[in-house]
Amino acid sequence: MPKLPGKLFRVTVLLVAFGSLYLVALHKHAEREEIRKAAVALTPGCTEKLGRYGLTPGEQYESPYVAQRAAVRTVARGYSEEDVRAVQRGCNIVDDSQGTLASEPWRERWNAKRFIRGSHASCDHCHRGIGDLQDASGNRLPGSNSLAASWTMGDMYDRFTGLLLPYELRQMQCYINSSNGFKPNLADDVIRDVTAYSRFLSGALDLKIANHYEEQGIDEIPASATLKQGDDYIRGEALYKDKCQGCHGLQGLGLELNGQLIAPAVAGPNAWNLQSRNNFYFVSTILAGFICRNMPPGQENTLQHQDCRDVAFYISNLPRPAGDRQGPIAALQQQLFMAVMPPLLRLSGSSKAPPPPLEHASASTPEKVRVENAE
Amino acid sequence: MKALAIALRSQALLWQQWPKIGGHLVVGLTLALVTLPQAVAFSVTLAGVPPHFGIYAAIWGVLFCAMLNPSPVFHGGPNTAMSAAIGVILLPTAAPFGAEYMGLALTLGLMCGLIQLLFWLIRPLGRMLDLISEPVINGMICGIGLFLIFRSLTTFGGLPANTEVEWPLWIAWHSFLAILEVGNLHAIGIGLITLVTCAVLQQFERLRNWAILIGIAAGTLYSQYLSARLGLENTLIEQIGNLSSIRPISPSVPAFTQDALPDIIAIVPGAVTLALLGLFQTVAAMRRMSRKAGGFTDSRKAIFADAVSNCLLPFVSSLPTCASFNRMWLVHKLGIHSRITIAASAVLLLLLVLFFARAIAIIPMPAMAAVIMLLGANMLNWEDIRPHFKNRRETVVFLGSFLSVLFLDLFSAVLVGSALAIAYSKWEQVNPNVSLRGNVLKIKGNIYYGSLPAIEAIYHDAVTRVGDLIVDFSECYYIDPEGVRWLAAAKASRKVGFVDRRSGQNRRSVVLTASERRRRDRRRQSEF
Repeated sequence: MPKLPGKLFRVTVLLVAFGSLYLVALHKHAEREEIRKAAVALTPGCTEKLGRYGLTPGEQYESPYVAQRAAVRTVARGYSEEDVRAVQRGCNIVDDSQGTLASEPWRERWNAKRFIRGSHASCDHCHRGIGDLQDASGNRLPGSNSLAASWTMGDMYDRFTGLLLPYELRQMQCYINSSNGFKPNLADDVIRDVTAYSRFLSGALDLKIANHYEEQGIDEIPASATLKQGDDYIRGEALYKDKCQGCHGLQGLGLELNGQLIAPAVAGPNAWNLQSRNNFYFVSTILAGFICRNMPPGQENTLQHQDCRDVAFYISNLPRPAGDRQGPIAALQQQLFMAVMPPLLRLSGSSKAPPPPLEHASASTPEKVRVENAE
Repeated sequence: MKALAIALRSQALLWQQWPKIGGHLVVGLTLALVTLPQAVAFSVTLAGVPPHFGIYAAIWGVLFCAMLNPSPVFHGGPNTAMSAAIGVILLPTAAPFGAEYMGLALTLGLMCGLIQLLFWLIRPLGRMLDLISEPVINGMICGIGLFLIFRSLTTFGGLPANTEVEWPLWIAWHSFLAILEVGNLHAIGIGLITLVTCAVLQQFERLRNWAILIGIAAGTLYSQYLSARLGLENTLIEQIGNLSSIRPISPSVPAFTQDALPDIIAIVPGAVTLALLGLFQTVAAMRRMSRKAGGFTDSRKAIFADAVSNCLLPFVSSLPTCASFNRMWLVHKLGIHSRITIAASAVLLLLLVLFFARAIAIIPMPAMAAVIMLLGANMLNWEDIRPHFKNRRETVVFLGSFLSVLFLDLFSAVLVGSALAIAYSKWEQVNPNVSLRGNVLKIKGNIYYGSLPAIEAIYHDAVTRVGDLIVDFSECYYIDPEGVRWLAAAKASRKVGFVDRRSGQNRRSVVLTASERRRRDRRRQSEF
């Protein structure tokens, strides 16, 4: 019996601790529910995009895009107010994952930043055009990493691991590799809203489920699409300095002005990690394809295939974080590289003579490229 | 009449022995119920094989170990680290859950058993496993305890598991936040009811053995109440599910076809890792728990039991087995140390799966997660780890092992902890305690190739400063051939005398220098 007060104390502490946790959970759930019901402040990009696609609550949905381009009326089941808000939040997350345009990022972006390491990565950087890249005439572009086309594939077998990946798990790969961050839980709104947005896009563009569209993924550039001269780090460096350094910086660390991100990092702590498929050593065709398709802004599709592979090769050699499955030793090693290499490169870069102009013929276009050192 | 008398006598015996038998049954049932969700979860989420692989490991693996391993606290069966290792080793070879993958999983298990058999046959290899010190084991136990809590968080909150493998602390933190923000409140309620019931009942000695069973029953009742009121389609509570397809035994043959040969060769290094992973845990867990229970079991017997079990299990569609820290901890906590209880748990699990599959099917997973979390919390026992903080070296070894579980994995924890412990013991050996008092140079420790430089430095300094130096190596417990040669050379130089009292009879054996000899002769002459 003398032990009774001790036991009572322990039992009370347990009950209070667990009870408090349950109350906190109730409060957090109520907060989430309130956010789900609140009106959504759209980013300028989303206002334009969702406005163009006529997203409004209603019994039926008819896509203005399809009506205008195909001169066909496609009437589908409409969206509830709850659906519309989910699509709007999803669009905001894709356009501005870091929440720089939001007044309360943790509320308006479902804490997406919690799952991203660094201050640069945003879905829109790879999934250009808020996941739906089109040219000036409204034509969807092949190999533009479209979220709509990606969603129509639904669950997809991963071509590297052979695992069946639902759309939600594919988003997680973006979080852990391309954003070098953490996996959100499958049930998290941050995943569900992006899925809702992707699904809406596919409806608005009249893409049919289970079909493969050219906009899905990136039109990759394998070595066979070049003259097979081999990927050249030195040429890649020279090209990078000529074409990319102005925005992405000498070290590829990105460019920020007055707190605004001008160009995201392609190396260093804010960039994708070694296990991302953007990494040339992991998959050598994806980053090259992205560069040819999207870079430099305003001069898209001007680089030759070999140029893109060379630049991708060079960029992938710059220090960047280790991947999720590479373990703490690799992580430490990469952190060390990221701390040591930039000052060393700065020193060597400032004293280095400009490389000689390069001459090169590629498979795709015969003209020669003159590369001048930007230093 | 005779038959009636025998029946009456056996009934009386049963009645007398009932408290003991009842105790075995309660503990066995608790163990069976605790093992079941682990078996399902480990096989499906970690190893990438159907749930019956884990269940057969929980039945046949436990039974084989109970029969072959003489330790009364040893509980085998499916293991987290081994299951995870199987998933990682086989991922590059075939798609999980496929026929090819399952065949290779069985081959991997068999190779693991054969390699473990080598550890039993080659005695020095087996002895190497004894180099895991107590702080390493306790560090692992605490790490595994926390790991179990972290792993169960998502199931506790009714959420899908986070499949991220690295940075468990971050994943745990994110999972905790996910429970608070988007967790299934019904699941959390069931988990909390189970957890509170178990934790409260555990405070009372009489109810301790019943705590987990009552906790699971309370969680299941609440879950059934919710389902009746709201419908399972609204509560979305995950349950153990239908296991009625399980048979008592499911014969299988590991894949050894010519087609599979390249894959089999590719997984040989993985099989070595798997074998070591199992043996390290078995030896460490058995030694720790046997010591806590006040007994001793030769680790070679445990190696033999694991090896033979793992050679047999691939033929009954089972995952490989090794010691389970958490279930052995539970056996110890429940206070019944007996192989009968362990074997009873396997038999009871088989009976449950065969005859009560429908009743088991409704047990909610959050309740099982709560039980596993409680087990994890019980493994963090301050009384056990406090002694390690009284010695700096033990503290470092303990922390090294503990943090390695959290930041690396179990296997690395064993390696890091053992490396630290061996490094410390080596450091102690290469730095013997050498002191000069008067003209006596006393060496405590080893005289061997590693410590000689340290001894020589002080010896040469003493020789130059002190005349008639005497080297006392009475407290040396090991002198290697290089040390003997050094001592012979020192003696040959005739600058020193030696004292060695290592016979233990206080007998003095003195090798005198020339001047000492002269002094002794003079003393004897005067005495004479």
